[in-house]
This record gives sequence, structure tokens and C-alpha cells, in this order.
Amino acid sequence: MAAFLLQYLPIVIMLAIAGVIALALMGAAWLFAPSRPDPEKISAYECGFNAFDDARMKFDVRFYLVSILFIIFDLEVAFLFPWAVSLMHLPHPAQVFAFWSMMGFLGVLTVGFIYEWKKGALEWE
Amino acid sequence: MTSNALATNALASSIGLPHYLAVAAILFTIGVFGIFVNRRNIIVVLMAIELILLAVNINLVAFSSYLHEVTGQIFAMFVLTVAAAEAAVGLAILVTFFRNKGDIAVDQANVMKG
Amino acid sequence: MMPSNLLQIAAPELILAIGALALLVLGAFRGNRSTLLVSILAGLVLIGAAAAAAVAPLGPIFRGGFVSDEVSRFSKVAIYLMSSVALLLGERWLNRLRAGQFEYPVLILLAALGMGMMVSAGDLISLYIGVELQSLALYVLTAFRRDDGKASEAALKYFVLGALSSGILLYGASLIYGFAGSTRFVDIAHAVHTTAAPVVLIGLVFLACGLAFKVSAAPFHMWTPDVYEGAPTPVVAFIAAAPKLAAMVLFARALLEGFPDAIDQWRQVIMTIALISMAVGALAGLVQKNLKRLLAYSSILNIGYALMALSTGTQLGLQAMLVFMVLYMIDSTGAFATLAALSRDGKPMETVGDFAGLSQERPTLAIVLTVLSLSLLGLPPLSGFWGKFYVFKAALAAGQWQIAVFGLVASVPAAFYYLRIIKTMWFDAPAGRTDTPAPDAQAVAVAAGLWSLPLVLVGLAFLDPLAALAARAFGLS
Repeated sequence: MAAFLLQYLPIVIMLAIAGVIALALMGAAWLFAPSRPDPEKISAYECGFNAFDDARMKFDVRFYLVSILFIIFDLEVAFLFPWAVSLMHLPHPAQVFAFWSMMGFLGVLTVGFIYEWKKGALEWE
Repeated sequence: MTSNALATNALASSIGLPHYLAVAAILFTIGVFGIFVNRRNIIVVLMAIELILLAVNINLVAFSSYLHEVTGQIFAMFVLTVAAAEAAVGLAILVTFFRNKGDIAVDQANVMKG
Repeated sequence: MMPSNLLQIAAPELILAIGALALLVLGAFRGNRSTLLVSILAGLVLIGAAAAAAVAPLGPIFRGGFVSDEVSRFSKVAIYLMSSVALLLGERWLNRLRAGQFEYPVLILLAALGMGMMVSAGDLISLYIGVELQSLALYVLTAFRRDDGKASEAALKYFVLGALSSGILLYGASLIYGFAGSTRFVDIAHAVHTTAAPVVLIGLVFLACGLAFKVSAAPFHMWTPDVYEGAPTPVVAFIAAAPKLAAMVLFARALLEGFPDAIDQWRQVIMTIALISMAVGALAGLVQKNLKRLLAYSSILNIGYALMALSTGTQLGLQAMLVFMVLYMIDSTGAFATLAALSRDGKPMETVGDFAGLSQERPTLAIVLTVLSLSLLGLPPLSGFWGKFYVFKAALAAGQWQIAVFGLVASVPAAFYYLRIIKTMWFDAPAGRTDTPAPDAQAVAVAAGLWSLPLVLVGLAFLDPLAALAARAFGLS
């Protein structure tokens, strides 16, 4: 354990040095730089205009809706891959059971899809 | 034994089960603290919940590989799926909350107390 | 490789799952016009599932992942019937508010399906899937009135704390899997018996914390009062009843089937949680003005009694827990049905002050609420008394007289808050006219009141042997 951790010692040293340098530079600016603000100095400087809006603007809620729907259908693949890989290695009765299990799962997903379609969740407007 | 297998062996002996468990425990703790310490934004809380579930997944996969037993990986698959469903429900509730309050700061959830 | 009776054993859950999906498609095509039709069909599906559960053959399927035994049959029948009551209450209530949507019955069906999985879970994976299916449906039900700020805040709190508890539960499950080498309860019990690695017990502590969240036992009860206050009243009637029974049975199965040899270790944890729940439920309820919050603390107190029965780890204790939970479910559903029935100028009556002088204007509901309060208080010969009687008998038989004494002491402050409701209703000046009570909710409330006083004496004669049979499932002494 100790020997294993020792391998990472250079990285720890590097992180420590990086941290010290960063803090020292920021601290030096804070300590020595003159700071005499006046309204003109601290006002927004952007081609003479004030900024219209916060750059971190709010996203339209419809993006959230699409992402919610995407997450769910995206994850079916997580089941389909291992299923597809191992299906042919199973003995026959288990194969039939495994096949129809996955069909059942896809059926459930289809019901969800029908529901969201009918509810109009896929329409942008 | 080929050189490739030797290299894998060496790696396996240097990074073992305890390391994975430690990473998972750290992520789990960060996730739990993320829920309690965070005072700003509920989206961050959702991210912390995801972090907890992913920490569990690391645990499960590490154990599964250590025990040479596949149940843990199947469990991890289920956890992934449920995590997605949970995120979807969480975001949906968040949207209704936002529509009612016009904000998603944690401090906004303060009508009921006691 | 599969037992031939697989379909019969899984029949209740299959009926619920297929029913929920079919009704979802029906509703999607016909829109909200079909809400009443979907609700009626969902009620039939629940009753069909209860009937299928009552006659389901016994045995494990899916390699022990799903277990059908006496206790799962008993609790499934109770859970599905209670869910259909919640369906009735909620459908009419939402309809009156013009907020009826066909998703409500579908969500109730999905929650019931999750609870069925919980009581049948023989494996950590099915435990987790059941808990999550139930919880996710309940989060959505809590936020069902999307335009209600309080409801969405309650749902958000419920979701965040519920997801945290699921995470803790899951972390415990992963540790148990890793150190016991299996996710099946029987194999875990074997591993604990042979190797007795203490680190498995750390996993058990996490698992128990997660489950304590789900049954809203103190100190993991923070979500309960807020959710009870904010969620629609019929949804609270649902949350307060069936999911609690499902989670308690799951708790019992995980402990008694997965860790029978570690009983001395987990008994202390369960006893501590039970003591804290009783103390918090009894004391914090005293200062509540809102009746729904008050009932939330009452439910925390009552979960304390149920955990006390579980902590005995005996067959008698399990039987007591089942009887107690069924009787408590009926009382609590009745109390919330009374709240759902009453309104003033179209607004729900929720504070204790709203109930002032109710006996003059609505004597029936006042009598019902009085009977149910006295029953929750544990006055003989009402149903609440019999539930506590079983619990105390089991605790004394297991030699745990200290915790039994504490339980008795805790019911003294609780008596104050139940008696305060009764005093307000009968002796205070009326607070104003109330609207005509909703007939369906009033019927449910009256039925619960009738059960609580005379019917329980007959009903217990049936409930007792059924619970005794169910309690034999884990092969306890």
C-alpha cells in the first residue's frame, strides 16, 4: 500500500507547488497592486453598451423535457448490448425465455413512447 | 504467460479492491455532503444524487470483478437504469417547482417548517 | 429451469404491470375524458391482483429473486385493497378540484406494483427495484397538483430525501453483496452464519438506515411532516398506509431472512430507532397546529411501535407487527378520509382550529374522527388498543419490558394531542359553516370508524389466525 502510494508522490509534489505558486501570485496582486475604484472604472466595458443579460442565461424548459425523454430511451441500450452478446451462448429453453424477456422490456418502452407521443411531449411548439 | 498478461497481473496487484472501495467511499461521502452543504441550486442536489449512485456502481463492479461473479454487474445495470428514471422524475418535479416559485434556489423550499 | 407455476406465482404483479400499461395506452388515446373509466378499470385490476395474491402458490421463482410465501400473500392482499381505497378517494377528490387526470390511477397501480415487489423481494436487486418503483410513483403523486406551490415543494423535499435514502440503502446493499458474495437473502444468511465477517454488518447498518427513511422512523423522519402537509390529502392517505406496511414487511424480511444470526447486533439498532421514533412522534406532535402535520407525527409514533414489535425477532413479534400495521392503516386512512371529506368555502380544513365545533354541524364526521383519535390513542376496546396489545404482548414475551414501558410512557403526551382534537370538535365554538361533505370520502371515513369500534372485535377473529399463519413464513421460534 505504502509503496503503491509512493508512486504518486511526484504528482502530489507537483500539485503542492502549483497550488503555492497560484496562491502566491494571487496574494501578491491583492497585497501590492493599487486598488482605487471609481464608478467609471468598475462600469461594464463592452463597446460602450451595458451588458444586455447575464451570460449564464436560463435555458428554455423544453430542453429539459427533451433531455428527460432522451435519458430514458438512451438507457435501453445498456440492456440491449449485454443481451445481444450473450443470447446465442445460452441453452435453447433459456434462449427462448431471454428473447421474450427482452421483447417484454421493449414492449414496456414502446408503451412509454406511445404515451409521450400522444401527450405531445415530442412537439417543439 | 505472455507479457501482456504479466502487465495486467502487475496492475491488478498494485490496484486492488481496497482502492476501488476507497474511491467509491470518497465519492459517496462527497455526494452526501453535496446534498446537505449545498445552499444554492437544486440542480446541484440532483448531481450529488447521481454521484452517490455512481459510487455504488463502482463498488458493485469492483466486487463483481473481485468475486468473479456476475451478479454485481447486473445489479449495476439496474442501478444505472433506475438512476436515469430517478433523474427524469427529479427534473420533472424541479420544473413544476420552478413554475410555481420562479426560482430553483434551495432556500426557496421554505414554506413548510416545523 | 423454470418452475411450471411461475406465471401463477407472479400473477398479481403481472396483472398489475400489464393493467397499468394497458390503461396508460387507453388514457393516452382517449385523453382525460376517460379518467373515470380508467379509474374503474384500475380498481378492478387492483382487486383482481389481490385475489390472485390470495391464492398464489408458495415458493421462490427467478432463482430466489422473487418469493411468494405466507407473509407476502397476507401483505399483498392488504396493500392492494388499501391502494384501491386510495384510488377511490383520490379520483373523486381530484375530480371535485377539476384536476382529475387519467395518470392518477395508473400511478397508484405502479406504486402498488412496487409494493408487491417489496414484500416479495428475496434478493437485494428486487428489493431495490421494488423500493424505487414505489418511491418514484409516490414522488409524482405528491406533485400531482402541478399548480400548487406547497405540493411541488413537498414533492421536491420528498424526492431529494427519498433519493438520498435510496442511495444509502444501495450503498449498504453493495457492501453486503461484496462481503457476503451474493445478493440473495438466503445466501447472505448462510455467509453471515459461516464466516460472520463483521464488515457485512456495516452494510446492514446502511441498509437499515435506508429502510428507516422509507418507513419514516426517527431520526430519518424529516420528510414526513412536510410531505403530509403539502401533498394532496388522498395521496397522503395512500402514503401513510400501504407503503408503510410494505416497507415494514421488507424490513422484516431483510433482517429475519438475510441476517437471522446477527439478531443481537441489529436488534439494538432497531430498538434505538423505535425509541427515538416514539419520543419524537409523541413530543413533536404536541406543538403542531396543522392536523396533517400532527397525523404525520402520529405516524412516526406508530412506526415506533411497529419497530418495537420487529425488534423482538420472534414469530409472535412478526404477527404483532402485521396486526398492528393493518389496524393502523385502517385508522390512518379513516382519519385522512375525514380530512378529505371536509372543506370550508371550497378550501380544505387543515388546522386544528378549523375543526372547532364540528360536532354541531357535522356530527357524523365528528364522531368518526373522535373514534379514530381514541383508537390511535389506544383506548380499549377500539382497534388501536388491540394493535398495541399485540405489540406489548410480543415485547414482554421476548423479555423486552424496558422498551414496552417506554412505549407506554410515550403514549401519555400523545394522548394530549389526540384529546385536543376531540376537545376542539366538541366543546369549542363553531368556526363557521362547512361545505357539504364529499359522500365518497365520508363513506370511507365512516367505514373506518365502524371498523375501529364494533367491527374490529369480529374482524380480529379472522385477522389473528391469518397474521399468525403469515408470521410463520420465516421459520422463527
